[in-house]
Amino acid sequence: MGDIPPDLLQFAGSLGAILLLAGIAWSLKLGPRRRLDSDDEAREAGAEALDGFVPIAVARDRDGEAALLRDDEGRILLLRQHGSHFAGRLLGDTASARIEDGALIVDSGERRYGVVRLAIDQPEAWRDAIARL
Amino acid sequence: MPDFSPTELAVPGFVALVLIEMIWAWRKRREAYEPRDTLTSLAFGLGSTVAGLLTGGLFLALFLWAWQFRLFDIGWSWWAFALCFVLDDLAYYWVHRFGHRVRWFWASHVNHHSSQHYNLSTALRQTWTGFLTLGFAFKLPLVLIGFHPGMIAICAGFNLIYQFWIHTEAIHRMPRWFEAVMNTPSHHRVHHATNPRYLDRNYAGVFIIWDRLFGTFEAERDDEKIRYGIVKQLGSFNLIWAVFHEWIGIAEDVRRAPWRHKLSYLLREPGWSHDGSRQTSDQIRADWIARSPAANKVAANKVAVENAIAETGKPT
Repeated sequence: MGDIPPDLLQFAGSLGAILLLAGIAWSLKLGPRRRLDSDDEAREAGAEALDGFVPIAVARDRDGEAALLRDDEGRILLLRQHGSHFAGRLLGDTASARIEDGALIVDSGERRYGVVRLAIDQPEAWRDAIARL
Repeated sequence: MPDFSPTELAVPGFVALVLIEMIWAWRKRREAYEPRDTLTSLAFGLGSTVAGLLTGGLFLALFLWAWQFRLFDIGWSWWAFALCFVLDDLAYYWVHRFGHRVRWFWASHVNHHSSQHYNLSTALRQTWTGFLTLGFAFKLPLVLIGFHPGMIAICAGFNLIYQFWIHTEAIHRMPRWFEAVMNTPSHHRVHHATNPRYLDRNYAGVFIIWDRLFGTFEAERDDEKIRYGIVKQLGSFNLIWAVFHEWIGIAEDVRRAPWRHKLSYLLREPGWSHDGSRQTSDQIRADWIARSPAANKVAANKVAVENAIAETGKPT
């Protein structure tokens, strides 16, 4: 051990402690996934993602993992699960949507936010609305 | 100069307290922690210590060089430490305020705010790119007054240690006298909130009196649920993206912007855009007030001008 630089030893110890703490968080099952079990919950999550966003139409994924919300200005907000919270994106002209196996696949156009799959009613209407953005 | 780093000595305490808070979360509020978020935050902390090792010596050398031009010879007495601690905290307030109001500084400080959780692991979510900003310049006056750079470093270390315990939802309020003078979990929850009422408030490190003095204080309300994170949530646990996303955003904005607006993407506040396509915290707050004028009248009266550069003109 005498040959190992102290800084490297400290780094290794800290890394070990980090992995241990993250492992404990996993084993305690912390961070339950939040689901959108109702349209009201989707509205609330939408307002959290974009303050003042008041949807007039909501399409909620059947598993409650994502939702699309449209306001009276035609703006469309995409919500998807992010750990025990939701992260949203107001879709713009770089967004696109397609239908696969009856589900709507929405590409936010932002690589790190990614593509979201929504099992919803009337996916064609939402696909067309996104195409018009 | 003493070879003493309080933050290094405090690391085992940080680990133990995170563990205790996790057990609290397991019993009371399981959503207070998310394992991937925790891993990202702690990796931020480890990376920031490496960045500190690589760049800290440079800043210390710069401070030691500047110290030769000091006005007074302030020794290593107890009162000098106490005064240095208070003045260092004042400098921290302004570094922190600039960290929120100038995008160049925000690109580094945003790392500390990008978690949607608020727990002790969030406290360790420290930047890797602080050396790219001019934060150190705010502490140069202390060196020039005559405080030894080593003393300033020790005070800054204790300041950072103090700020660790306030990153928690496990403590509701401290005694009234304490809330009046010191930064507390309640005050700092406000600082990490994205609710329009709370945006860019409570910059204090140790003493909340700076916010009360400079008009940026906002008390936590029990009737308003706090949303943590940043206005445009990351939506990713990718560590590297989390570290550099705002720097990449600045680079893209500067590249796309007309020449006369390029510098503004560095010097104006986060959210500013030359075409008005985004919103600053002031604009978000103004919209919120406009939506509910009666309820938010008090908040409207408290809005402060915080970035003189931004106030000189409207987006064109």
